[in-house]
Amino acid sequence: MAEELMDVLNEIDELDDLDELGEDTQKGKFMTFRIGEECYGIAINYVSEIISAQTITPVPEVEDYIKGLINIRGKIIPVIDVKVRFKQEPFEYMDRTCIIVIDVKSTTVGLVVEQIADVITVDEKSIIPPPSLNQNSYGRDRYVFGLVRVSDEVKLLLDPEKLIRDEDPTMPE
Amino acid sequence: MAEDFNTDSMLDMFLYESEQLLGDLQNTVLEKKDEDCFDETSINEIFRVMHTIKGSSGIMMYENITKVSHKLEDVFYYLRESHPDNVPHLELVDHVLDVADFITGELDKIKEGETPDGDETKIVADIDRFLKRLKSGIEEQGEELPPENEYVAPSQFYIAPTGTESNKYFKASIYYRGDTEMCNIRAYTAVYSLKEIAEDMEYMPDDIITNEDSGAVILEDGFHMLIKCQCTKDDILNAIGDTSGMDRVEINDCTKQEFEMGFHDHGPEHIVIELEDKKEAEKEKKKEPTPGDYVIKGKETGKGKKLAKSQPKPSHKQSYISVNVEKMDALMDMIGELVISEAVVLQNPDLKVPGLDLTNFQKAAGQLSKITTELQDVIMSMRMMPLTNTFQKMNRIVFDVSRKLGKDIELEVIGENTEVDKNIIEHISDPLMHLIRNSVDHGIEDKEDRIAAGKNPRGKITLEAKNEGGKVYIIVRDDGKGLNKEVLYNKARANGLIGNRPMSDFSDREIYQFITYAGFSTKEQVTEYSGRGVGMDVVVKNIQAIGGKLEIDSMEGAGSEMIMKIPLTLAIINGIVMQVASSTFVIETNAVKEFVRISKEMIVKEPNGEEYVMLRGECYPFIRLNEFYHLSDTVTDIEDGIVVLLEHENKYISVFIDQLIAEQEIVVKPIPSYVKRVRGISGCTQLGDGSIALILDIAGLIVGQERS
Repeated sequence: MAEELMDVLNEIDELDDLDELGEDTQKGKFMTFRIGEECYGIAINYVSEIISAQTITPVPEVEDYIKGLINIRGKIIPVIDVKVRFKQEPFEYMDRTCIIVIDVKSTTVGLVVEQIADVITVDEKSIIPPPSLNQNSYGRDRYVFGLVRVSDEVKLLLDPEKLIRDEDPTMPE
Repeated sequence: MAEDFNTDSMLDMFLYESEQLLGDLQNTVLEKKDEDCFDETSINEIFRVMHTIKGSSGIMMYENITKVSHKLEDVFYYLRESHPDNVPHLELVDHVLDVADFITGELDKIKEGETPDGDETKIVADIDRFLKRLKSGIEEQGEELPPENEYVAPSQFYIAPTGTESNKYFKASIYYRGDTEMCNIRAYTAVYSLKEIAEDMEYMPDDIITNEDSGAVILEDGFHMLIKCQCTKDDILNAIGDTSGMDRVEINDCTKQEFEMGFHDHGPEHIVIELEDKKEAEKEKKKEPTPGDYVIKGKETGKGKKLAKSQPKPSHKQSYISVNVEKMDALMDMIGELVISEAVVLQNPDLKVPGLDLTNFQKAAGQLSKITTELQDVIMSMRMMPLTNTFQKMNRIVFDVSRKLGKDIELEVIGENTEVDKNIIEHISDPLMHLIRNSVDHGIEDKEDRIAAGKNPRGKITLEAKNEGGKVYIIVRDDGKGLNKEVLYNKARANGLIGNRPMSDFSDREIYQFITYAGFSTKEQVTEYSGRGVGMDVVVKNIQAIGGKLEIDSMEGAGSEMIMKIPLTLAIINGIVMQVASSTFVIETNAVKEFVRISKEMIVKEPNGEEYVMLRGECYPFIRLNEFYHLSDTVTDIEDGIVVLLEHENKYISVFIDQLIAEQEIVVKPIPSYVKRVRGISGCTQLGDGSIALILDIAGLIVGQERS
């Protein structure tokens, strides 16, 4: 017991890791949504909520994919248009347009997507790494960490950390 | 179990409490520094502080802190009990301050998540020598150390009973192997684990937290607990767990009566009596035959012993409760929200139906507004803290620096009760420290020079705080030699800070401001405290970071004056809401000089595209916000829009906007860090209808304009 206490005292960080283990039920579940022709997935433990489109306040002089700021219950968060982020043609926002609010490493960001699909459960073994060919196509291969086939459709699984990271992976530094 | 053991809160508590105690300690010491010796109250006070810190650092297993505080406790114990005369007072003050510094340093390390690894041996040795000298000074024979005052009067330990029926009572004893260290900590862990399942419990010895020596007692006699719970023996056994060093655990049933009787007084536990005896015996053993018998009072019983958060000792008669700042911020946010939704309700378009009778609604609305306004005032006042603590720290700095430099300086403090937002207090401590050091080091002359100049040989620094027009003024004034404009000018020129402009180009204040430029130091000699040329520019940056400014005034030969002007609060400002295209912007009301409609002739356009506006013969830089931020669908005809004239630190800029919307109180929120910093925008806020407006940063606009 005393050793445990010492451990805890010394490695409080570890305690935080332990807390995160409680999310077993969310393991292997992905929230899927459509952008253009493609269906994308994002691990559900990043998703904090889904809200319907609301007025987005534009911020001048920022990257084109940052659409602006929205207000969720007093918290002001930035919104990214995933389609623009993937260098595709922007689309019109309408009633069906949703914003997925994700928490990545204590950064809260909203993702504008064309259409929310459903939550799928994926066996980790069935995730295949994206082909390394044609790396620069739309830059999206870099955001995609795996592909998975669910009922005749290939879904692209996104790495949200790369998605929201400031620097553009397709641009040479 | 380990996860349930909330070390964070324990650590927080330890840091918080220790810091408070050290603060108290320094105040006590500095108050008495000019007297001949400490009076009885302050000796007791210092002793108490050291004792508590020793105890709590022991629990947290910060050994070096424990050792140092223990040593100083010894000294004060000796002072308290033996009342020696002719104690070298200043030396003692130094020792106390050394210890306080050492512990503060270690606490800082702990806060940063590092291990407190400072070497305590030197301080301990110094104090040891001091104590020896002290003793030999009085007692020819060289009296031994007085016995450790470790005895804490036994008191019951209760964990609030949650009270349900069908309780069972157990008596549990843990015995540790002979070579086990820190049994008290181990026992404490066991208590913590049992707390999870027990309804109520007591343990013996009950001073395991405050008394290091209880470890020895536990080793000798075992650790005994009386437990009231609804679980079985096995559960208790599991909860206690199996830790190294544990020899055996005994759990027996006992009756309610036995439980209620507890461990001492008429309790049937002969062990307890034996234990007490043993402690007495131990004390006897340690006790050297010393002249006079002294009463050992149980100090601080109950303190630090509660598992629940214990309150720091209130230094005033009022009662305080410490609240996590995050909670305060959350409350603040929510009240901000409340104010906004109130506006949404009261200005709801549904109410604008013609012919609607709103008499009762308006009455109720009036009441609601009153309450929300009061609520806002209360939360604001909750965030306000007096500057007392910050100012007291300065006392220490003047004391230290002036002694090291061999100057005799008195610090006068005025208006220390002025209250400022907590966020701001955190930010002014460092700049203030710099200013004070500068005054001591550069400002006040050496004694000889002062006498030669016909001044009081004792220098004087005044630290003053006052509230004026929504701002706090913090003034550092010294009666030293003041600033020499000639020297400042030449120096600035030599360092290439001002180009070749003649001295007459600058006002006195502008020349004084030179000292705030980076890489500027007038002091030829670099001392330990100042003169490296970094400092003043950092001070100014820190002050600007919280929206304040620094003004410098001086009279050569008579002294100088540094005035920090700081906003009272950062969280809520009065703002003017305006619109450009579809975007809404807010400007702080204080910065707005005037609104004007202008005609085309008043605009002067330079060939490089820069524009100026002529107003009453004055010429101001002109920014079209729509072009600045590349907004489309805006008013482009000068005569249709409005020009706002803004002032920041005596610089003016005019901004062209589409239309004004309202003036209102706004709650400032930062732009999410994910969005890169946008020039000219310092934050955002939420308006009555839930939409978001961007707050214009005038300083940023001016800088951006100057650069282009």
